[in-house]
Amino acid sequence: MRCLRRRSITVFLFSVVFLTAVVMLIIRDTESSYAVEDILKLGKKVYEQRCLICHGKDGDGKGLVGVLRRTELSGRTIETLPRDFTIGVFRFRSTPTGCLPTDEDLLKIIDHGIKRSFMPSHKKELTLEEKKAVISYIKTFSERWEEEEPCDPIPVKKPPWVGSPSSIEKGKRVYKDMKCWECHGYEGRGDGPKAEKLKDDWGKRIWPFDFTTGELKRGTSPENIYITFTTGLDGTGMPSYEDSLSEEDRWHLVSYTLKLMGMVGKKKE
Amino acid sequence: MYSRFYLSVLLISGLVLITFLVFATYRELNPEWKKYQLEYRDLLIKNAPNEAARKKARSIKIEHQQIYIKPLKKVDRCMNCHRGVDDPLMKDAKVPHKLHSGDYLKKHPVSKFGCTLCHYGQGRATNKKDAHGKGRDTHWDYPLIPFKYIQSSCAKCHDYLFLKDNGGEMVVEGERLFREKGCRGCHKLNGVGGDLGKPLDIIGSQPIAYFPMKYVVGERNTYNWLKQHFLDPRKIVPGSEMRVFLSEKEADLLTTYTLTLRAEEMPRQFRAIRYTTPVPKDGESLYKMYCVACHGNGKISAYDEILKRTIPAIMNPAFLKIADDKNLERIIKEGRKGTPMTSWKRTAAGLRDEEIRNIIKFITKDRPDERPEPFDYKRFVTDTKHGKELFNVRCALCHGKDGKGGKDHLGLNLRNPAVQKFVDPEFLAMTIRDGRKGTPMPAFGKTGVGLSDQDIADLVAYIRSFSDKGKK
Repeated sequence: MRCLRRRSITVFLFSVVFLTAVVMLIIRDTESSYAVEDILKLGKKVYEQRCLICHGKDGDGKGLVGVLRRTELSGRTIETLPRDFTIGVFRFRSTPTGCLPTDEDLLKIIDHGIKRSFMPSHKKELTLEEKKAVISYIKTFSERWEEEEPCDPIPVKKPPWVGSPSSIEKGKRVYKDMKCWECHGYEGRGDGPKAEKLKDDWGKRIWPFDFTTGELKRGTSPENIYITFTTGLDGTGMPSYEDSLSEEDRWHLVSYTLKLMGMVGKKKE
Repeated sequence: MYSRFYLSVLLISGLVLITFLVFATYRELNPEWKKYQLEYRDLLIKNAPNEAARKKARSIKIEHQQIYIKPLKKVDRCMNCHRGVDDPLMKDAKVPHKLHSGDYLKKHPVSKFGCTLCHYGQGRATNKKDAHGKGRDTHWDYPLIPFKYIQSSCAKCHDYLFLKDNGGEMVVEGERLFREKGCRGCHKLNGVGGDLGKPLDIIGSQPIAYFPMKYVVGERNTYNWLKQHFLDPRKIVPGSEMRVFLSEKEADLLTTYTLTLRAEEMPRQFRAIRYTTPVPKDGESLYKMYCVACHGNGKISAYDEILKRTIPAIMNPAFLKIADDKNLERIIKEGRKGTPMTSWKRTAAGLRDEEIRNIIKFITKDRPDERPEPFDYKRFVTDTKHGKELFNVRCALCHGKDGKGGKDHLGLNLRNPAVQKFVDPEFLAMTIRDGRKGTPMPAFGKTGVGLSDQDIADLVAYIRSFSDKGKK
């Protein structure tokens, strides 16, 4: 009689433990899938409120706002559409060319906006959670996010001699040898011989930057210029020079670019 | 007893003085122009067609030449070096002996007109450098005019109708460009025009000190300043908001015209003006004269990098459909304070009511015939607080959190008096409801985002509350 009792208690205890474990596993699974769905739902809500009007319902840039026009200092009027997310090609990344941007890259764009492009800054209007949610939602527009992982970002360390006259001289030589002037022109006014033929990845005409225009879209610090040379601007005609130029040469080019923009090398009055 | 020392001092100083006197005498007897006159005489002798002419040539006196033009109180001594300027024998000679080109001297003899009247330079000088006036060390504000701008001098006495067929094509063309590039949109001439730039009335005769010459390439004179400023205003005047995009040739033509705007007026006996160009009164010419520099053809609304704001498309049919003439007239007359849009009324920029109405007639010529769907704003009870919520979510992205728009913003400034006071709330409501086709303003009503009419009315109330004092 005693043996039977002990055995049934053991069986009972084991089954309780077993059932609890099973139930907990089930519950935990549904909790995590709820979490992902919640994020996407929040992202969709933020997107529809703030982003849809330019970037469109399907993230293809064909929102109600339509074409954005800008007249530059030289008089040419440039037409752009808001970014199309469906191809999964992004300009302003910290990862090498051909790679997807990291979450931090996208967060930076949402926070700071893009100068001269009418992408406004959403830094103060959204919480960090909302921003991350909308990033997750934007990723659903392109299949590329499911197939690939973003690469590692490129480290940026600015040497102290950037902007010095000798660096500017070397940069000038690099500018000439690497044929930057073919698109950007000899004085950096965006009027090089190839400037008329450039098209972006969406088949629309795109103009090389006119350095005398003003601020760069990504920001005009030397680090930003360096990153542009190194990662290239995917989707535009700007290639990456990570493989064709040494790191030192790229920094010399940064000095020369700053001089073309009039930010260095001129005597202060 | 005289000290030896003092004697030597006297001797040496005496020698120095005599040397100096000899030197001065030599200089006085051989001025720079003497060489040229001797050359001229030799040329005459060499090319004399017959013995009588040769004899006459030999007897030419080498002396100081001067022309005094009494009505203008001008003294011209150019003939000192350019003695052959009106001698037909000198047709193939080298400058300075060469005959004046064309047949200008037939109608404008040197004895009556002199040279500096048309060519400028310093008439009273007796050496080449000071006479031509080039270089800062000559301290002369009106150096010799480059040949490409010489036709500006013709306009001092002649009218444009005459000049068109008589050797003044460039200055006539320059005047046409001036009228059609919208220069008076920012610059006053004869008291009429915008006030964003300096008045142009006497700009052609301003001294060199009037112009900021720091970034001028080459010689620092009025001619170079004007030409280079036309080609790139921001290079010569940093921070300039001048919107002009000219080819090199157009810049030359406009410089020629600008040089005709001078302070001095020719005395009666010199003027041959028989015809004054009539001031255009029709809408299209007025639009080109005052509006074109910023608004272009009025069809495209684009953010402008020079003015750092969006320039509205005033001939956009979608805009014209909603805007009525009364509101347009008010906006043009009062301008938009704090923006480059000048106030054009008679007491400000100087346009008469009739002229403004003609411009409006021109602007609205492409107005579509169909009337827009009306918006009965008055029947709504509006909730400004709800309007504020909607604004912060829907509108702040393009128009800025405070509705100011401006730099880097796609949307216009909504706090502007034109939006606040000069248009009816119905205009605002219809704009929000239907958007503005051809610009980035989307439709927020049922054809677009889907806001209800009540939402739109609340938004309009909130936007109009910007001008309420004491609130916020």
